[in-house]
Amino acid sequence: MKSSLFALTALAMTAGVAQAEMMPDAVTEPVTITFYNYNLSSAGNGADATRKMIAEFEALNPNIKVKGVPVAPQDLATRIQADIVAGQPVDLSQMTFAALGFATENLGAQPLEDIVPAAELSAHFTGMVPNGLELGRLGGKTYGLAYTFSTPVLFYNADLFKKAGLDPNTPPTTWAELKEMGLQIKEKTDALPLATGIYGPTALDWLMQGVIRSNGGEVINADRTEMRFASPESIEAVTMLRDLAQTGIMKNLSITAQMEGVAAGNTAMYLQTSAIQGYLLKGAKDNFELRAAAMPAFGDKAVAPSNSGSALSLHATDPKRQRAAWELMKFLTSKRGYTIITSEIGYLPLRPEIVDDPEYLGEWVKANPLIRPNLAQLEHLVPYVPLPGPNYLQIGVSMMDAMEMATFGDNDDVKGILTETQERVQRLLPPQG
Amino acid sequence: MSDISLSPAAAPRAWPRLGRMYRALRPYLYLFPALACFIIWIYEPLGRAFLLSFQQWNLLPTSPKIWVGLDNYRNIFDLPKFWQALGNTGWYLVGLLPLTVALPLAIAIFTQDLPARSRNLYRALIFVPMIVPPVVGAAVWRWLLDMNHGIINLGLQSLGMEPVGFLSDPDLALWTITFITGWKLIGFAMLILSAANAAIDGSLIEAARLDGASRWQVVRDIRLPLLSPTILLLVLMVVLLGAQWSFAYIHVLTEGGPLGSTSNIYYLLWQFGFGSLSVGWSSASAVILFVGFGLMAMALFALKARFTFHDD
Amino acid sequence: MTTETTNTPLHHSRRFGPGGWETGLGHALMILASLICVFPIYWMIVTSLRPENAIFSTRLWPDAASLDNYAYALKAVPITQMLVNTFIVSIAVTVIQIFTGILAAYGFSRWKFRGSAILFAAVALTWLVPLQVVMIPNYLLVARMGMIDTLGALILPHFASAFAIMLLAQSMRSFPTEVIEAAHMDGANHAHILWHVIVPNLRGTIASLAILIFITTWNEYFWPLLLTRSPENSVIQIGLQMFITSEGTQWGPLMAASTMASLPILLVYLVLQRQVIASFMKSGLR
Repeated sequence: MKSSLFALTALAMTAGVAQAEMMPDAVTEPVTITFYNYNLSSAGNGADATRKMIAEFEALNPNIKVKGVPVAPQDLATRIQADIVAGQPVDLSQMTFAALGFATENLGAQPLEDIVPAAELSAHFTGMVPNGLELGRLGGKTYGLAYTFSTPVLFYNADLFKKAGLDPNTPPTTWAELKEMGLQIKEKTDALPLATGIYGPTALDWLMQGVIRSNGGEVINADRTEMRFASPESIEAVTMLRDLAQTGIMKNLSITAQMEGVAAGNTAMYLQTSAIQGYLLKGAKDNFELRAAAMPAFGDKAVAPSNSGSALSLHATDPKRQRAAWELMKFLTSKRGYTIITSEIGYLPLRPEIVDDPEYLGEWVKANPLIRPNLAQLEHLVPYVPLPGPNYLQIGVSMMDAMEMATFGDNDDVKGILTETQERVQRLLPPQG
Repeated sequence: MSDISLSPAAAPRAWPRLGRMYRALRPYLYLFPALACFIIWIYEPLGRAFLLSFQQWNLLPTSPKIWVGLDNYRNIFDLPKFWQALGNTGWYLVGLLPLTVALPLAIAIFTQDLPARSRNLYRALIFVPMIVPPVVGAAVWRWLLDMNHGIINLGLQSLGMEPVGFLSDPDLALWTITFITGWKLIGFAMLILSAANAAIDGSLIEAARLDGASRWQVVRDIRLPLLSPTILLLVLMVVLLGAQWSFAYIHVLTEGGPLGSTSNIYYLLWQFGFGSLSVGWSSASAVILFVGFGLMAMALFALKARFTFHDD
Repeated sequence: MTTETTNTPLHHSRRFGPGGWETGLGHALMILASLICVFPIYWMIVTSLRPENAIFSTRLWPDAASLDNYAYALKAVPITQMLVNTFIVSIAVTVIQIFTGILAAYGFSRWKFRGSAILFAAVALTWLVPLQVVMIPNYLLVARMGMIDTLGALILPHFASAFAIMLLAQSMRSFPTEVIEAAHMDGANHAHILWHVIVPNLRGTIASLAILIFITTWNEYFWPLLLTRSPENSVIQIGLQMFITSEGTQWGPLMAASTMASLPILLVYLVLQRQVIASFMKSGLR
């Protein structure tokens, strides 16, 4: 009884074939666009701030109505896929960086260079951190505009530092220092020295990419054709992590258990996305002093933190809807937009000029100094490389399974585990040609 | 399976042929609403999934369907964790059967003979875990069992013992999750068994007692045989659904870790198949699950036909 | 054998006698089991009363109980509306599944017919089809029917349940044949026998089944998740998930919302449990 279904959806999709028609200059008739958004799928600051931005935008653009569709981040790509197949309009989405490659290849994310007049595009890009703009570029074109994004930081519990006889004003800057301090914390307190968000299937490889690249290695090559996580630099980085595990400085706990341990004041250091700062601060209130430092380096090599979070992707194919979606995109990534995103949700502003501008973030940054190490890292930020092809999740999960095994398992052969997995996973990449 | 004969009274005599046809079709008419629902919402999509399991496609009509033969299956069987997860699935069953069949059975039988007030109180209390949402039940257990700040470990430490990594020790985590799954389901099984137990004809038991049968003899010779269909139904459910029941707890508590020690076959297939967008992987996963467990179900049906007693 | 009128409740004869110490041990074990079952729920309620920076406290009771989490949860998520939606969906699904279940179970237990074994197996094997695989095709079907973002779409795929059919077929097979034969002798047709002879006698089983179907539907998450477009048209599990994010879970409000979400189930259990008890009291009369 559903035999005609695909014929029907095929009909709905004929409009989905990309055409290089430029969008009109303005929205002159009323139009309603959809915005697939994951902040709306949770209760609290993220949803409130998103609704606030949409309301402000609608007030400025009376012709455009925005229908927010709440979808949790892990379901976003599936949901958009289902809705495209079902013939529902998908205009703008808050796409996670891990899924950006998939969105480009399978979900009709449009390259802005092809649909937005060049002058308008470059005018909007002026003032944005070049490194940040890179985050949403694949093959030289902008498929995503960095929206709510964050970088890894090393949170630490100043009270536990003092208790262990360490100076909370000099947090570790390298992994070697971190190990030394960790051993001291382990000896002097009951606390777990280090928790991280590196492992676990939901984290995928975003933080691992940053760690490995800080040691000069990479998970995958820049062309996204060859897995490289069994290179000597990666092996060295994972061996270092294995050493931390073997000496009891970090443990193989689930991602939530680690987060809760930090919030409860039982963990001294925590390498994780800056996005969870609000959560940790709530636990710390009246209990302990939470501080933040930059991600540790390998000796004197440059740190290469990667980004987590989301970009805005434009999926609309109708030029009028594209214009409407682009207008919303511009507003969300404007000075005003980033001010709300930073001060009310807790992500990074991609327009550095607003940080000290009293009209925008000036006052807020004075009251919230924890954001500083995160802002400082913006300059070194190296874009996360999304894994390629339709099997990107399977590649990511398989790789992280091997990383976990190599770090916490009984087998000391880090090189063997990573090499074997790399060969197996390489077969899941899209065929070249 | 049923030995009740066709009824002689219901056929309209004036239209013998129509009546015969109606009689032949009647069982199917009774089954129709349920079967139609299963066909539309389950079997038709499953049939489509079977075809898709040999293809690589992202569902979008604009992109090509690529015939890949058995590649999707090969990819799944190639996962190093596949066999580990299969083994774990067996261990989960070993742990779940006593917790979700034997224990509730004992509770249902024991409470049946108690005065009404304490019987109802015990049953209500045992049922309580059923009312909390699974994610919340899982989270509360994580706190109670946490190595650093869980009160169970604080209690063990105050007794001078080392803290136990209930969820972080690869040798223990599976049993912890089995326990939590069982904890959530005791009330479910107990309710079913209590209802079946209550439906047993009281006169049978009274007669046995008058003949001087002991409590244990009543249980062994009357209650257990009469409960056996329900017990087998529960066993069938645990075998077929156990892997799915543990899913929520694996997902919330360990994500299959540490080192894959708590991943079961359903969770693994979810992680690599259903949880992602690749239709080929998820379809192949579904076929593997359906065929693998389907064979086990057939074996159980055969057993059931041999060992079931009916009150007639 | 079924017409004997021993309506003495069974427990009276077993309260004293040689099993005394066993009963004592039984009580001790039951109390322990009850504690294990109830303590985590107690913990959920206590946590819902704690302030945010004391969520991970290990004290057995909240130091300063406050309803802040409840107020916040009610403000952040349309919980009342979601509870009403969930209630409507759960009741509808329960009634429909029991209805289709009774019909199918009667079909299976009453007659031998061609393909009955295969069809029965096909019913049980629906358990093995992972929801996530059929979800997208079903979503497309619902979309084609124009039912996205409606409560009807949450009910429609749940018109039948394998568990209901199998459990009811089980009880109908155990139903004394003599009673049915007697009704036939009196000229009753199948519909009459089913609804007036068998069903009233299966009250206990049906009530238990209703409790379980209601809870299963109440806790359903994946299918509503795919259909959700606005919190107001969604169900409570989606509401609970709104407190759980990758950027940290808001435990206090989640526990408060969960406590509120658990109360209707408890209520349904207590109401229907009376039916289970009542059926037990009458079982001697059959």
